[in-house]
Amino acid sequence: MTEASARFHRSVAEALADPHLRQALDRTTGRLAGGLAKAFATIPDAGALRDTARRIRAHTIAHLDQHLDQFERAATARGCHVHWAPTAADATRLVVDIARARGVSLAVKSKSMVTEEIELNAALGAAGVRVVESDLGEFVVQLADDRPSHIIAPIVHMSRDDVARLFEDKLGARPDEVADIPAITAFARRTLRQEFLQAGMGISGVNLAVADTGSLCLVTNEGNGRLTTTLPRVHVAVMGLERIVPTAADLGVVLQLLARSATGQALSVYTNIITGPRRPATSDGPGEPDGPDELHIVVVDNGRSRLLGGELAEILYCVRCGACLNICPVYHHIGGHAYGGVYPGPVGSVVSPGLMGLDEWSELPHASSLCGACRDVCPVRIDLPRLLLNLRAQTVAARMGPAWLRIAMPLYAAIATRPVLYRWLGSLAARLSRMMGHDGWLDRLPGPLSAWTTERDFPVPAPRSFVQEHHAHAPRAGGCE
Amino acid sequence: MSAAARAQIFDSIRRGLVRAVLPDAAGSRPTPEGRSSPPSASADALEAFTRALTALTGRVHRAAAVDMVPDLVAAIAHEHGARGFLAWDESHLGVPGLFAALASRGLERVDYDLPFDAASREAHALALAGVGVGLTGADAAIADAGAIVLAHGPGRGRLASLLPPAHIAVLSARQIWPTMPDLLAARPGLLDAGSNLVAIAGPSRTADIEMTLTHGVHGPKYLHVIVVP
Repeated sequence: MTEASARFHRSVAEALADPHLRQALDRTTGRLAGGLAKAFATIPDAGALRDTARRIRAHTIAHLDQHLDQFERAATARGCHVHWAPTAADATRLVVDIARARGVSLAVKSKSMVTEEIELNAALGAAGVRVVESDLGEFVVQLADDRPSHIIAPIVHMSRDDVARLFEDKLGARPDEVADIPAITAFARRTLRQEFLQAGMGISGVNLAVADTGSLCLVTNEGNGRLTTTLPRVHVAVMGLERIVPTAADLGVVLQLLARSATGQALSVYTNIITGPRRPATSDGPGEPDGPDELHIVVVDNGRSRLLGGELAEILYCVRCGACLNICPVYHHIGGHAYGGVYPGPVGSVVSPGLMGLDEWSELPHASSLCGACRDVCPVRIDLPRLLLNLRAQTVAARMGPAWLRIAMPLYAAIATRPVLYRWLGSLAARLSRMMGHDGWLDRLPGPLSAWTTERDFPVPAPRSFVQEHHAHAPRAGGCE
Repeated sequence: MSAAARAQIFDSIRRGLVRAVLPDAAGSRPTPEGRSSPPSASADALEAFTRALTALTGRVHRAAAVDMVPDLVAAIAHEHGARGFLAWDESHLGVPGLFAALASRGLERVDYDLPFDAASREAHALALAGVGVGLTGADAAIADAGAIVLAHGPGRGRLASLLPPAHIAVLSARQIWPTMPDLLAARPGLLDAGSNLVAIAGPSRTADIEMTLTHGVHGPKYLHVIVVP
């Protein structure tokens, strides 16, 4: 077992043993998945809308170079600076350079997966820029020096008491200021409002960009995304290069599905669409009284274009709603941290190995029962089971599976393709296991098979096999061997 | 470095596209369907919008005529204990003489223009932070989401709908659309009307702590929409 596999198994075991986490996951995933079903019930032709959204995303990715080129021209024409980052290191260097050139010492940030992926906060911190996460959940995660456990609910693993204690310890809150959830929230508002007013730079991700207008769409419920992109004089938006749709009308279709899939809302509270920096006064009239004076867009590749050139390209249709997490039975049991990367759940099990390679992430494609619930719930109908199976095949081809599996599968194939041998060994195994059973159940198996029986019992095989029964009852005619 | 980085990424994308497995990407570009003309001022649309926004704890006030707006705004502002307000320019609110009428009711507009210089920008923003209400128009509304849509731009600042604890928006009943796709398909130009288009579906909220809904975490805690005929 590699170090990465061992780490994965360890974190899964820890997650399964944490009763608090299990309780939080029960509450969160159940409610989010239920809200999704209700929200979709209110739109007529939801199926057709999902088909349209899928075709929009598919068509966009199939012509990604043209859309990115158009996006860059449109955004530049409206006064944006578009930067290109082939790697995570390039992206963080670009942002650090922008901050340095403008003497920024404090930046506020709106929650963004891609900035987690490129580890932007660490890079800015090393350059002497303090970065404050402004989404309430991410703010708490940052204070606790923890990692977010869910794309859209980063602190499902913490209780209100955990948060209250954290605010007392780290921010000097008095007990009455964090007595209940509304008080905790109001305290966070006051604390973060000061940071917003003083920050020299706002950093955001991008949910979707619109190619023909160079617009950026950011969706939040709290309003931190709007403050981040309005108050500081410099706004830096970091986007994965696949987050693009061609037109405003296409954006409308995806928005009709996005919040419903994420949280069961028809629309998030703030659907914020930004087209260029603040517009200056002209001879025709006044300019805009607020908004950033500079808008930098950092387009990040970091493995995406490589992922595009293969069997996994469909994952680039993803709109990052998180629905596949909430519906996934495996996620429901182990939560987000156990997946190890920035992107958890079924989507993460494809994205993490897809972007960063299978060496470190070969266990993730196996963290699925292949039940297909993720595919059924995906607003753009990504065939996640197909992608997971493809990755499993890659791990086998690269000889990354466990040694016993590499020996056992060819051995099984050799036996299963020889009917006489198969039947003889089958009846031998049945007879042996009946000898080891108690009251019709196997509760302890030897060797590696004990992994099964430590958690469950197994019924002993019937006295006669199916083939024997079949021969006893069916006329011996057709070739049913 | 930038040109080389750009070329590197585009090369890699174009090489990738040759081998990419992209189900359902073939064929012509899908054309999202929406209404081509603004919807009529139907009572149903207003009813649906009101129901959806009320469920989100937003409040809808119906003004029988435009000249009732000043009294409504003043009453709401006083309810929130506000004496000053941030606002869009009067010409964008659709209510002639509104600011004078509000001034006579003890409500003064706080005008602003954020400077670029870091220190004065901070001082300027700090001064705005205590203003009690924001007053804006609304370019459209979305019935199924209970959302109002605001095109911020020249004379139409973003902070009025963002910074104060209460936000009041004046909406024409003729601009209620069934869904977001309907609006964006019919009026794509809204994206480019200014630097910021926003759809607001109720007051700012979070459920990050124990999935418990709490309002006013960053944006306004109260949202009032005054619907005029």
